Amino acid sequence: MKAGLMICVSLIALGLLANPGRAEESTSAFFEKTVWAKVGERTCLKCHKAGGEAEESKFVLTDPKRSQDQTETMRHNQGVFTKIARLETGVHQSRMLQKVVGKLNHGGKEVLKADFPEYRIIAEWVKRANAMPVAPRPVFVDKNAPPFFEGVVMLDDRRLLRRVTLSLAGRLPTEAELTDVAKNGLKALPKILDLLMKEDAFYDRLREGFNDIFLTEGFDDVPENALSYEHFSTTRGWTQNHDLSHIKDEKERRQAGYKLSNDYRKAMLGEPMKLIEHIVKNDRPFTEIVTADYIMVTPYTSRGYGIFTELKPKFKNPDDPFEYIPVKLKALVGRNRVEDQDSTTGFYAHAGLLSNFQYLKRYPTTETNRNRQRSRVYFQHFLGIDVLELAARVSDAAAVSAKFDNPTMQASECVVCHKTVDPIAGLFQDYWKFEGVYGKRKDGWFKDMFGAGYEGDTLPPKERWRALQWLGERTAKDPRFAVAMVEHAYYLLTGRKVLQPPKELEDSLYDAKRRAFQEQRKQVETIATHFGKTGLNFKSVLKDWVVSDFYRADGLTTLAVHPKRRTELEDLGLVRMLAPEQVERKVGAIFGQPWGKLNDQMAMLYGGIDSKEVTERATDPSGAMGAIQRILANDVACKQTALDFNRKAKDRLLFPHIEPDVLPGTSPEADAKIRQTIVHLHQRVLGHYERVDSPEVERSFQLFSGIVKDASERKGLDPRENYHCRRNLPGDALADPKYTIRAWRGVVTYLLRQPGFLYE
Amino acid sequence: MRRDFLKLCGMAGLGLACPIGPNAQAFDPLKGKDEPPFDGPYYIVFNASGGWDTTYLMDPKGVGDINRLYKEGDILTKGNHKYAPIAKHIQGGMSNEAFFGEFGNDLLTLNGLDYSVNNHAPGARYMATGKLDSMAYPTFAALVAACKGPTCPLSFLTFGNYSATGNIVAMSRVPYLPSLQKIANADGIEGNAKSPYHDDFALNRIEKALREQRESRTVLPLLPRQERAESMLYAAQINSKFMQRVTQHIPATIPKERLAQQAEIALASFKAGVCVSANLSIGQFDSHVNNDPDQMKLIPEFLAGIAYVIRRAEALKIRDKLVVVIQSEMGRTPTYNKQNGKDHWSIGSIMFLGPRIKGNRVIGATDEKQFHVPLNPQTLAIDKAKGIRVRPEHIHEALRQYAGIADHGFSKKFPLGLTEKEKLQGFWG
Repeated sequence: MKAGLMICVSLIALGLLANPGRAEESTSAFFEKTVWAKVGERTCLKCHKAGGEAEESKFVLTDPKRSQDQTETMRHNQGVFTKIARLETGVHQSRMLQKVVGKLNHGGKEVLKADFPEYRIIAEWVKRANAMPVAPRPVFVDKNAPPFFEGVVMLDDRRLLRRVTLSLAGRLPTEAELTDVAKNGLKALPKILDLLMKEDAFYDRLREGFNDIFLTEGFDDVPENALSYEHFSTTRGWTQNHDLSHIKDEKERRQAGYKLSNDYRKAMLGEPMKLIEHIVKNDRPFTEIVTADYIMVTPYTSRGYGIFTELKPKFKNPDDPFEYIPVKLKALVGRNRVEDQDSTTGFYAHAGLLSNFQYLKRYPTTETNRNRQRSRVYFQHFLGIDVLELAARVSDAAAVSAKFDNPTMQASECVVCHKTVDPIAGLFQDYWKFEGVYGKRKDGWFKDMFGAGYEGDTLPPKERWRALQWLGERTAKDPRFAVAMVEHAYYLLTGRKVLQPPKELEDSLYDAKRRAFQEQRKQVETIATHFGKTGLNFKSVLKDWVVSDFYRADGLTTLAVHPKRRTELEDLGLVRMLAPEQVERKVGAIFGQPWGKLNDQMAMLYGGIDSKEVTERATDPSGAMGAIQRILANDVACKQTALDFNRKAKDRLLFPHIEPDVLPGTSPEADAKIRQTIVHLHQRVLGHYERVDSPEVERSFQLFSGIVKDASERKGLDPRENYHCRRNLPGDALADPKYTIRAWRGVVTYLLRQPGFLYE
Repeated sequence: MRRDFLKLCGMAGLGLACPIGPNAQAFDPLKGKDEPPFDGPYYIVFNASGGWDTTYLMDPKGVGDINRLYKEGDILTKGNHKYAPIAKHIQGGMSNEAFFGEFGNDLLTLNGLDYSVNNHAPGARYMATGKLDSMAYPTFAALVAACKGPTCPLSFLTFGNYSATGNIVAMSRVPYLPSLQKIANADGIEGNAKSPYHDDFALNRIEKALREQRESRTVLPLLPRQERAESMLYAAQINSKFMQRVTQHIPATIPKERLAQQAEIALASFKAGVCVSANLSIGQFDSHVNNDPDQMKLIPEFLAGIAYVIRRAEALKIRDKLVVVIQSEMGRTPTYNKQNGKDHWSIGSIMFLGPRIKGNRVIGATDEKQFHVPLNPQTLAIDKAKGIRVRPEHIHEALRQYAGIADHGFSKKFPLGLTEKEKLQGFWG
């Protein structure tokens, strides 16, 4: 009794019990929030699961990530834990407690030390399991906890609409869309999104977003070398021999040659993401990204494959470098017979991106990584698992390496991962060319690694020629695929990854972090379930995320001061700094034309990616980026303010209801007009719907009137707008004797520097 | 006024209080004059990405089959340092002989570091942050930048390697030196300070309105992400004014070498007082095939890059404020594989150089089979009976102590989990 009390006290002191102050906490709650979250999921599940190293033991758990019924999974796992916790060996010696410290021939050796907090959790569980009724109680639901979104303010429907149209189509909402949302609220969004998802701009964004994940534009070679020399030596360089003799002028002919080559390369780089576009645009099951038995080609890239002539009738415009159509390639034929591709159908064994040349080139193999890199990215891209995230700490990794002839198959510390990773690597075994893609290893596949297969299933020899199709088929059926795609959609929409479960057991905010993770996880699983019911139509995922509380959260009703509540809310709200491409599109949507300067070096400086070395976008602004924001605000305001006033009033985007001769303080009508214009600017530039008497409008009014006043008191000012801001416009229209055009430019500059413009 | 400004710049938004000490710099546009530039120490972390062969550098062996290019008797020394003789095997860059000859008296080496893992990604993460099993921890370079210069416009520069920030500081990537010139005078047309977009009175009004707008937001009940983002945005724009200090330190000619190019950007930013730390990195050390030729090409390039930085820092008169960490994410096996390469090895080394770091010292060791030898953390002597395995968290704890940030709120937010008796005592000499 005393010993049990001491354990309980020590757990409370460590903050390890879910609710240390609540003696009545149920066993199920203790299991889910403490035993499972802190030990079972993190430690035991690595081996004790189907396909795991300990799958043949009596202690086999179910991986929640592979289950669609989380409640039942938790019930099952609690039952298994209970059963084992009741086993004893010798005189009142807990079998479970001995196993975890490496005794009783535990296959995983010592996974916990007796002075670890996790050991104490297991000890507490053993005690409770032996004291409770045989049948486990239902899974605990903390009904007393306030709703997770209590006190969270959601974005109003009009602003949500603007967020969505800018994010997914790079444009402002139309009047019809605004009217629809005003009338029908959130219910209007699915229909609006259905139409939006037919726009070309949506597919530009979709490809851009998925390239941020798959990075296929970043393979390290000239694009046409995605086509291997062994199989396409006579066709892949077709632009070099293309007849341009009809262009008589040598310089023009040379320029045309450059353009031909550039277009070919751009089209070749674009093929993988065009596959995704094709699948989504045509409402095909999104599993086709791993099962599609075709690739996308254009008139230019099909020349590289040597199939243009037969495809030519299928193109609407055979001269369009970027018209993509699906095509099934024939099995590859090499320069030598040994390089011919095995195929029982006569066709290339397409499996969506898995067998895509560009994808395989982006993640090449080497003699030493043996396709393990491909296996790693396969898990990450298609099952949402980072196999290297939680590399097990080995007490002496060097000793393990030295002790075994083949640690990856013999040392339990290594086997735990390699048993999962290596079979997938083996499925890529016939894509072994370091420079090209397809090609068998001369000496056959490695015998000193686990053989080709998938999560415990061995690849049948007769399926080897289509091993990646075999993989794709299994991937498509794996529940983790749908979840991973929902997570990708979240990344596309928010620019950040979904939350991971917290790992610091001693963290006093552990429970709050765990709750934030679980709430988001519930949303992910809900959307994934719906995704499955739609036939895996990816559009449904975007639509579900957009109307979710996670996407719409936009503030609080009261200040969150309690550290636990702040921690729960830490990741909530979109609050995404726009990427360079998004900034340009937003400028274009608001002002009618993009800025045009956030490209190349400037884009990189503004946190962009090159898909090669730099693969993650900056999420917070550095001072250098702050400088770029200042330049952008100054320059866009400079070019657009005078330009807009130079248009006819009905054509203006910024100042449709005011002229430069309206001065502040001259009459109530004039001030009202100025305030109405400010309301319009706040709405157009920031997406904020302000009242004319709001503090924000007042601040902008004071800025405008203050600049005009200062100017009136300054002598010697040029009565015209700045030359740089008016140089491409007719002179007379840009007289600015009262400094109002420049004052309005100041207001636009002010707005462009705000989070409402620079963030999503 | 200054306290208010720092608040607007986001200390509250970042969730923890940041000390307003002599190193926390900021520019207040309404005060009308600049605060002094950040004056160091400046931190550079050099990373040999892919896994270096320490037996060809600071932990020579020459026994068994560990090295084919030299024997044990060929090993050279400089003071207390032992190093592999490589001068006759290299085509360019800087040899060990030259490097230790020039910098040995200032160098602190730790051998027998237990990287603990054999994979690149976890190893890089562990070495950069001191934490193996978390993706949330900031790198040391990011942490020291957040603690010492949170409002510097380029507080944390990175050119590769693992660069997580823990959401406590913005990361800056500056791919090309000339690109800094383009943004140095953000309020001047085409970067020309003499040709401003706005007249001075208009710009002052804009800044004032932005400040008032920011102030009005601080009292609203915002989500934590909103608070943080708005604070960081305000700080980034205001402190971007410091960027103009960089231009005068941009060299007329840009070096061709990879590390030297990165170094010039970092050094110009240090000299201008706009940067606290930088990650510099070159890759391709992963010599699974033909280890010796690869390492003999890359180690000299790496050392030459380090020497370049130190010499340029000397010329810029900031060497006495420059702290250099020289590391990799793993070592290489004590045996050659069938492709004459060496595979991943979880035992290696790390080197340091900088003010208050006593040089000409070697701490820790590996044995003749390149295994770790336990180290007594109190005496720093080899102690096979009671010694510990020195792992990245021990190094990071020491670095935090050295930088004076071990008790900072940000460091406490990312604990390393060492007990007092595990911490390395007197490590810096």
